[in-house]
Amino acid sequence: MSSKHTILAALKQSAVVTAPKPLINIEPISVSGLNESNELSLVEQFATNLSTVAGKLITQGGKSALAEHIQSLIEQDKSVLSFVAGVTGNRQSPDRAHEMHDVDFTVLEGQVAVAENGAIWVTLPEQHRVTPFICENLIITIKRDTIVANMHQAMKAIDFNACEFGVFIAGPSKTADIEQALVVGAHGACSLDVYLI
Amino acid sequence: MTQTQTKTHAYKADIFCQDESRVDWHSKALWTLREKRDRAAKQLPEWEQLRTLGSQIKLHTLSNLGQYLETFEANCLANGIQVHWAKDATEHNQIAYDILSRHKVKKLVKSKSMLTEECHMNPYLEQRGIEVIDTDLGERIIQLAKQPPSHIVVPAIHMKKEEVGELFHEKINTQAGASDPTYLTRAARAHLREQFLSADAAMTGVNMAVADQGAVIVCTNEGNADMGANLPGVQIHSMGIDKLVPDMDSAAVILRTLARNATGQPITTYSSIYKAPKSGGEMHVIIVDNGRSDMLQDNILAESLKCIRCGGCLNTCPVYRRSGGFSYNYTIPGPIGIAVGASDDDSNSIPWACTLCGSCSYVCPTKVPLDKIIARHRRLKAEQGQLPYGKRHYMPLVGKLMANETALNCSMSIARTSLKILPHSLLKPFAGAWGKYRELPAGADSSFEAWFKRNREQK
Repeated sequence: MSSKHTILAALKQSAVVTAPKPLINIEPISVSGLNESNELSLVEQFATNLSTVAGKLITQGGKSALAEHIQSLIEQDKSVLSFVAGVTGNRQSPDRAHEMHDVDFTVLEGQVAVAENGAIWVTLPEQHRVTPFICENLIITIKRDTIVANMHQAMKAIDFNACEFGVFIAGPSKTADIEQALVVGAHGACSLDVYLI
Repeated sequence: MTQTQTKTHAYKADIFCQDESRVDWHSKALWTLREKRDRAAKQLPEWEQLRTLGSQIKLHTLSNLGQYLETFEANCLANGIQVHWAKDATEHNQIAYDILSRHKVKKLVKSKSMLTEECHMNPYLEQRGIEVIDTDLGERIIQLAKQPPSHIVVPAIHMKKEEVGELFHEKINTQAGASDPTYLTRAARAHLREQFLSADAAMTGVNMAVADQGAVIVCTNEGNADMGANLPGVQIHSMGIDKLVPDMDSAAVILRTLARNATGQPITTYSSIYKAPKSGGEMHVIIVDNGRSDMLQDNILAESLKCIRCGGCLNTCPVYRRSGGFSYNYTIPGPIGIAVGASDDDSNSIPWACTLCGSCSYVCPTKVPLDKIIARHRRLKAEQGQLPYGKRHYMPLVGKLMANETALNCSMSIARTSLKILPHSLLKPFAGAWGKYRELPAGADSSFEAWFKRNREQK
């Protein structure tokens, strides 16, 4: 008997009483005391939670502020790889993913942003999957109307059938493995700036 | 019955407790995590609802596990993922080695996986000429120090920064005497980047396997799983059969509690969903039983498979915090380590490394009834005639004494009088290990029974 069949046969002896699948129906946290417009309060929640995970939200200036920032980085001799239309870097996506090891900044589009925890859903349909992890610093753009309240709403907003790989990114890479001291910048990007466009 | 070679929990804890200041430091570091967890939980009004849902989702999946595993496999295959089944650790290691040797892999970068620790995979592969690099910083530290993990989320929690500094100076050429965590972490970043860029294959654990997607979810804060899996051509993910969840809605519930309960973060920095091999690459998933289906045959022990490995129960456990992770005779320490490892403990002592205070069950994000499971293990050990040395002799006598009202009342009366009139130095030896670091209590004036009769019974 193959191991698969051995395992499945053993599972037939399970003593666990059949339990129904629960209905997951959690209302978004109501945010009182903020602005009338729910949209704005989501931005504020997102900004707050992004900062607790060491990321920074830039709400002013939109894409032109981002383009200016990238221009100044290039003038400082930084290497920039951009996947956002209208924002031009000075590096191209290479044939071999390993060649991205010295990219200073990568600019990517985020698809869905989650207010409760500052996470942003990123997919890379055509590029190397390692792109958001291997760069020294990461910049993500998000659209205001893609911010959702919580993870339950995020799951509904994402089309997983169309995705082969995706990642929720909440802030820059970090670790607290040495005496619980938080150090930002472990293996992935050392900083995360998020532009609201 | 003969004594086994395995040392008891008390014996190993005694070694850890010799350095009192380190015990205090260890306890405090873990309690800080517990406090962070409490703050994170309080921020969500629906926290208790999430715990209930987490428990129900896992129980539902476990009660239909065969069916979910088959769905998962079919969807993985449709996505181009190669699926392997391993009934035990040996088979898991063989499968991993077969994949690696087929691709002539010389260097494997590994992201934290308690399952591969459970299977003792690293030495197995190393003996066969494959270099295995653990890439989570904590894991790398203990790998360089040639130690096993002492915690499931923060594996090097027992080491001080000066010790890490010394180790790094010796192994990766950092400055002598350096102990600044930022400096040391950056040095490790540079060292591990070289490993990522030169690895031939990557291996990670799995936080959740999503049945209806045929996908695995991997959570890290450092991004090591993704730096590993996304560079070389071959990626392997090892998972226990208990990692299944039905769908992404279920995964969302667990993603909301996992990091909050582990470290107090709202979510891990990276929660990645791997649903197909990368272009031109290969993706393998190894589904491992290794005793889990046996656990499912006991309806109390089965609930330990609801665990999502957040480590919250370790951080809150008064025994773990004061006895250290190396005292449990199992890869996984603390309450969950007792729950899943007690059956294999030759010293038969770890179910007693617990005060049954219930704090672990109280903080668990999927409501694993850890105290109930640990009590169950004690009963099983007793039924199998495997009570630890000592308990085997006096517990039956204690049972007889407690069952006999006259004898119990008589002995309690003698104890109360003795505590009042005899010097404590004379009585202390009778208190055994309990009295080693404690004063004896003051003797009460009467028994509780007499007090109750006098004050309550007639009223």
